[in-house]
Amino acid sequence: MGNSQSSQIRVAIIGLGKMGLLHASLLSVLPNVKLVALCDKSSLIRKICRRLFHDVFITDDVEQLTGLDLDAVYITTPIPSHFSIAKTIYSKRIADNLFVEKTLAANYDEARKMCELAQASGGVNMVGYMKRFAVTFNKAKELLDKGVLGDLVSFDAYSYSSDFVDAKEGSVSTSRGGVLGDLGSHVLDLALWFFGDLKVDSAKLVSIHSFSAEDVASFKVSASNGLEGQFDISWCKKGFRMPESGLAIRGTKGKIMVNDDELRLELVNGESRRWYRHDLNDSVGFLLGAPEYFREDKYFIECVLNGCNGEPNFSTASKVDYLIDQVKREA
Amino acid sequence: MVDRLTLLVGDNPFHGISHLSQERSRLRDDTITRADYAAGLVATALENGADGFMFSVDDATLSILRIIREKAGKINLDLYAIVPYAYDYVRLATQAGGITGLARKVAKEIVVSFNIKAMATGLRAAVTIDPKALLKTYLTYEISRIKSSQGKRMNLKSVLLHEIITDMALALNLDWIFKTHIEFMLKKGIKPGFETRNFAFLVNKFKNWNIDFKNVVIATPFNAVGFQMNPSREECEKALVDVRAPSIIAMSILAAGYLKPLEAVNYIKTLPNLKGVVVGVSKENHARETFKLLKERFNS
Repeated sequence: MGNSQSSQIRVAIIGLGKMGLLHASLLSVLPNVKLVALCDKSSLIRKICRRLFHDVFITDDVEQLTGLDLDAVYITTPIPSHFSIAKTIYSKRIADNLFVEKTLAANYDEARKMCELAQASGGVNMVGYMKRFAVTFNKAKELLDKGVLGDLVSFDAYSYSSDFVDAKEGSVSTSRGGVLGDLGSHVLDLALWFFGDLKVDSAKLVSIHSFSAEDVASFKVSASNGLEGQFDISWCKKGFRMPESGLAIRGTKGKIMVNDDELRLELVNGESRRWYRHDLNDSVGFLLGAPEYFREDKYFIECVLNGCNGEPNFSTASKVDYLIDQVKREA
Repeated sequence: MVDRLTLLVGDNPFHGISHLSQERSRLRDDTITRADYAAGLVATALENGADGFMFSVDDATLSILRIIREKAGKINLDLYAIVPYAYDYVRLATQAGGITGLARKVAKEIVVSFNIKAMATGLRAAVTIDPKALLKTYLTYEISRIKSSQGKRMNLKSVLLHEIITDMALALNLDWIFKTHIEFMLKKGIKPGFETRNFAFLVNKFKNWNIDFKNVVIATPFNAVGFQMNPSREECEKALVDVRAPSIIAMSILAAGYLKPLEAVNYIKTLPNLKGVVVGVSKENHARETFKLLKERFNS
């Protein structure tokens, strides 16, 4: 493993879209990280990066990252390319530690192969399900683990945004895939984190802007302990200027309503409580985008430095790909 | 604290934003996002002690300026403009499939705007991929949008770079973005500004880069509960002392509605080196009462 033992993590980022730039920025403020290389297919992006970044190797070819003594690589390219890039990184021994933006892969078959490759490499692997690092969802997990709701009975989960409400015909790119893998995967990951494995019982997908990808998804799930749940996911929902995910969880002792901004607990004994981000120590070392991105990157780097398992790792995250495949099959 | 604070009306509620919770903004009446209603709230705030309007430059806020120009032409109004309106650009990038798609759309917008000056500098910048020239082209374009909507009694005091640009540039150590913006704005007689959610980090960088706080305006959160103050309220307060110039505009003083106005004011009064405060309002009585209180506590 490169130089990580001397506490300086050498990192490359592949894919310099919105998420690539975000991670490049956050990694740059972490004291034990050195941004060594950037890789992007777009010649325009590479030209701009050459003007912006000094002492950073810039290329369009993943294989050229070989020999840079990298400790970790971030893959922030469109989802369909994740598998082939990860395969190259592992097979060429470019780096052992890999962070992949969600979803892990384009389907469960590829996700499973990525898990095998990661296991063979022995390094740290993690997927960018950053909602796990949001203070509200973290608090919900803490309450659920304490059994505050008693036996869990049912839940309703949603992920909404207004990103495509007023999208003009022809202005929508299909390169980012459908709403399930994009916006919806966060709430799927949260549900799997909160409740464990889920099985899809029925599903409906609706395409509005393109025949090749879904814009709205609704489906019902169940767990082996009898828990039943329902998901509603759309990026064509009015009133959601910023993407928002949330869950209403009902148990024998009460219910929890949690989303990106707040958490409400209502118990059957009449007790109730509400936490906003303000109440949950939401400050971070550096805020860009949302506090959870900083926590996520800091955690991944700490895992690499300490050689410990990072969560959600590939194996955990592959369950989201499995669930998405199930939804598509059932629809 | 300086003798007199600049009191600014913020535009967040006019975009349907609540940093407390999105649900709260959805529960509000849609009226708030109507330009004529928002213009009325700005006018009420000005009648009750506000000095100006801080806004992200987009079609909605420019409409508000045009309505104020037409209906309340005799009101003096200082303008503090934030560019770019990041939300719009992120949404466009989402729809267009990424940053390259967005770049094409913005270039097209500038060409369609027929801003000759912006087009001329933009052409040179595009050919050479010169980031400084691209930044100046973009700023020229945004200033021209504001000028075409502002009235005679409106004074464009400051153009601030949005937090997403400021904070990314801070993280990537891109001092040229700050220096280019400062130099370009000062030449135009406009105070250069920066919005940030990482105030302590910015103060440290500006010291290393020898940027004089007297020449700039910084808009950043300050509130009694440390909401959006990073890495902590204490570190931001320490950095504020270090600034040694009244150049800071405190944002989120109500912590997005979490604090009562009086609690907010009592905390703000303890802080040094403030130039002003900015507060968003969503109702007529809210505009009246809030700015009356701010005027009474800070400027009487």
